[in-house]
Amino acid sequence: MSEAATPDLKSRVQDLIDTMINPAVAGHGGFVELIDVQDNRVYLTMGGGCQGCGAADVTLKAGIERLIKEELPEVTEVLDTTDHSQGTNPYYTAGKS
Amino acid sequence: MGGSARLLLLLPTRTYRTEDFVDAARTLGVDLVCASEKPSTLEALAPDGLLTLDFADPESAAAIVATWSVERPLAGVAGVDDVTAAAAATIAERLGLRASAPAAVATARDKFQMRQCLAAAGVPVPRFRRIALGENPVLAARGVEFPCVLKPLSLSASRGVIRANTTEQFVVAFERIAALLARDDVTVSGDAARYVLAEEYVPGLEVALEGLLIQGRLHPLALFDKPDPLEGPFFEETIYVTPSRLPEAVQRAIRDTTAAACAGLGLTEGPVHAELRVNDDGPWVLEVAARSIGGLCSRTLRFGTGMTLEEIILRHALGWSIATLERERPAAGVMMIPTPRAGVLKEVQGLDAAKATRHIEDVVISAHVGQELIPLPEGWQYLGFIFARASTPADVEDALRVAHSRLRFVVD
Repeated sequence: MSEAATPDLKSRVQDLIDTMINPAVAGHGGFVELIDVQDNRVYLTMGGGCQGCGAADVTLKAGIERLIKEELPEVTEVLDTTDHSQGTNPYYTAGKS
Repeated sequence: MGGSARLLLLLPTRTYRTEDFVDAARTLGVDLVCASEKPSTLEALAPDGLLTLDFADPESAAAIVATWSVERPLAGVAGVDDVTAAAAATIAERLGLRASAPAAVATARDKFQMRQCLAAAGVPVPRFRRIALGENPVLAARGVEFPCVLKPLSLSASRGVIRANTTEQFVVAFERIAALLARDDVTVSGDAARYVLAEEYVPGLEVALEGLLIQGRLHPLALFDKPDPLEGPFFEETIYVTPSRLPEAVQRAIRDTTAAACAGLGLTEGPVHAELRVNDDGPWVLEVAARSIGGLCSRTLRFGTGMTLEEIILRHALGWSIATLERERPAAGVMMIPTPRAGVLKEVQGLDAAKATRHIEDVVISAHVGQELIPLPEGWQYLGFIFARASTPADVEDALRVAHSRLRFVVD
């Protein structure tokens, strides 16, 4: 059975998203929404220009996850639950390579 | 082995390969650093994980990484396409990491240089000629035999590749490629922006060999048949199926010819993707790229107990052991869904029916609703990919065709 995050951890993740992550990804018309924190895993979705973006995984793993883990070392993983196939305005569209 | 090893992945912002390489890095537990040609919006917040590099200038990219890595030592570097493979090789050489020599990778990137090098090494290649875009195409056509194929020096995935059977078709193709090279979405420079290649059209079956070079030895990973005829005027890739149904002796000749091509180019380390034609005269090398297969096609491949191609590539780049390079037993295949015509994608119908087709593993629509579609030879994107796995290559091919027939793309 998974363990829900303490309100404190969830609110600290939310605070990071609100104050650091979303202002940054807004530059590409994107936004990140926190879904939940369970067992020290952060579940989120990516919207706007991030949804379906060819660079979304880079943003998530090398940017968002690294930032959250640095600020909140108890977080073990950040997982993207976005349905990227439904993105209609991705910032980067993948091409042939 | 794993844990704290730091790996630099060179990922163009528009590559299909990001998800699979990032997943592989996560599986391996490496400390992943991603570099792109355009800055990430998060780079300032995560400078240990994100870099911006000019992939078109490998020397400057290597200088930046050398400085950056003084306090963040790297255990490996990997590119994912032709452009980033060249940058990765230069970075690897500078840092003493595992990769082919930058000169060899650069030669493989330029179709003219590659053919010169292979011909000099005695590897069968079509007769070829480089033609400056400033030349009069009518006069240039006098110097080639028909049918011939015109192509840019450095674009991939059949972009700009056109067959010409007559002088009139040659001129049209020549001008079409010149216009393509001038497009905003084409980033070529140097010779690649000034020349086209005209080469003999080689009739026959086409195959693709995926391999990994380790200390100069080619380890074939998969040989794909391309059952749809590629006779022009454009050369749109559709179905790839492995294992090959060609006779073992022919397959051996393909492997041997590819190994000779790699040796002729001086490639010694990392993934290679080779395209060959096969006819009564044997295999002919069309391309040997110092990278792995493009698009999402690598998802057809699994090794040992489920290792992905990307995991193998990253393990090799890191100098880690690889338990096996043997592909799983079932046949597998992919269909790159062709773009039917130019327009804006309005809707995709029949997706559930396509996914429900027997032996179909997945259907990924990579184009998004509202996207402008540009067919070959100017286009560079697929509508998506269909993946199948079955006990025989024939079942795989049938499944791919049935699934594709159930899809309908509404384009306005």
